[in-house]
Amino acid sequence: MNAASIMSTGIVTLTPDKTVGDVVKLFFEQRIRQVPVVNEENVVLGVITSRILLRTVLPGYIREGFLKDVRFAPELKQFVENMDALKDKPLSGFINKYKPASPDYAFVGPETSAMEIATLFVNTEIFVDRILVVDNKKRLLGIISPIDIFRNLWKESEKDSPEKD
Amino acid sequence: MEKEIIAVSVFFVVYAFIVWDKVDKAIVAILGAASLMALGVLTQKEAILGIDFNTVGLLTGMMIIVGVCQKTGMFHYLAIKSAKFAKGEPWLILLYLAVITALFSAFLDAVTAVLLIAPITLLITDELKITPYPFLYSQILTSNIGGTATLVGDPPNVMIGSSQGFTFTDFVINVGPASVIILAATLAVFKIFYGKKLTVAEDVKKRIMQFREDDTITDSRLLKKCLAILFLVVMGFIFHNHLGLDIATIALAGAGITMLISGETVHHTMERVQWTTLFFFMGLFVIVHGLVETGVISALATKVVTLTGGEVSTTAYAILWLSGIASAFIDNIPFIATMIPLVDSMEPHMGGQVASLPVWWALSLGACLGGNGTLIGASPNVIVAGFASKSGSPIGFLKFMLFAFPLMLMSLLISHIYLYLRFL
Repeated sequence: MNAASIMSTGIVTLTPDKTVGDVVKLFFEQRIRQVPVVNEENVVLGVITSRILLRTVLPGYIREGFLKDVRFAPELKQFVENMDALKDKPLSGFINKYKPASPDYAFVGPETSAMEIATLFVNTEIFVDRILVVDNKKRLLGIISPIDIFRNLWKESEKDSPEKD
Repeated sequence: MEKEIIAVSVFFVVYAFIVWDKVDKAIVAILGAASLMALGVLTQKEAILGIDFNTVGLLTGMMIIVGVCQKTGMFHYLAIKSAKFAKGEPWLILLYLAVITALFSAFLDAVTAVLLIAPITLLITDELKITPYPFLYSQILTSNIGGTATLVGDPPNVMIGSSQGFTFTDFVINVGPASVIILAATLAVFKIFYGKKLTVAEDVKKRIMQFREDDTITDSRLLKKCLAILFLVVMGFIFHNHLGLDIATIALAGAGITMLISGETVHHTMERVQWTTLFFFMGLFVIVHGLVETGVISALATKVVTLTGGEVSTTAYAILWLSGIASAFIDNIPFIATMIPLVDSMEPHMGGQVASLPVWWALSLGACLGGNGTLIGASPNVIVAGFASKSGSPIGFLKFMLFAFPLMLMSLLISHIYLYLRFL
């Protein structure tokens, strides 16, 4: 099993000139949680997730982990207001902005084995719930979720088990 | 002759790299120390003798103790409690948080103090919708002023105390009063500049009263243990000479007990130790020891003595201003590491240790307070600046200096007058 055989294709993408408002609409309409951001050659520039957007509406000192817990504080007015200011901002400002050293997404080549991808899901230090499959020029080919690996493992095990009478 | 030239060259290259600030200080110090041995200036045995393990041990012990204690939420509790005690009045919040920062810095650790108080400060100023800068400035300044007051507050004091065998009480009696006067004077200046400007509407103040300080305590069992340990350790510091124990022994014993009863795995606790800081100190001690062993320091001391005529008062004033202004621009740790053996070598020319005491207090006041002059003057400044810029409210280098440098000069002037009235 390799990445190419288990990935889903026909992915919804956005270009970096689209706005945060466009992404949020996509999240609601398509019931997805992350959107790859690509340029006109389909090269992956980054990924926008609902988690990244949440991070941007939080104040910097919380986002950066200086205050890990705010259960003692009343809700900040700014927290609610920040979303209004974000709506019309282009996506280019949000991809890989806060952790340039470890981007918010993982990607693999089409030949990568399913076991390696499963390992990435389990052991990666960043939180990823989808892994992108790209070619050697980083053009987007497909996307893999943990359930894609499972579905294929399940199919294999059904095939292998002897037929019952 | 050749060894002296190598020792001096290594020293200057290391200093240049520290000022350049592109390679981590710990790496620079380790490589500098290693090159002294590789080039035959020091043997490894000599190098290790040059490391002041009392300083290193105290820092390590405090990093462990404070690292575990901060997990309990006790520092946040105090910050929130004081903001509510101020009834949401911005100027009073600034005042209370600044004083808390000074106290933490005096008895625990200035870096941890600002790391814990500054984020809460931003949350409070966000709730009040006012500028955070006066608050952050006051905390930077008072953390360094508070640290000046005690033996354990600021690394220069640890190093001076440890090398000269000064006790906790020696520092509290001799530099403590100056520190208290400077704290009051600095806060008075803040009052003049910001007292009237920091105003918010009554309904906004009420938001502060909605904070639930009891919710900051994450682990009340650990909190009780930590309070007991902190109490014992601070008592240990105060009475260390009566107990016949050095401060590193007290801090490390406290750290051992903390790890024993915290219920946390020791690996996890050890991750909180700032190893880069410790290796930076150790490397520097070796590099400066190279200057001592080759006789460079004593030659320099003779030169300085001929300049000042070996007179204690002239020397004390000169050291106060020189170390103050130098510490504003360069790291005060390498500076103090160099000055200690220098002053040590000057002592015989100034009439022995007892007669030279004011010079040591001048060095302590200068090196600790000088750190307030610029944004890079001391570790708390650098940490608050880094934290503020990551949080989206960057502190400009010049903007800070325009306000802080004159205040630093004021603190040196107060120290000058204090030394004059008290000792000279």
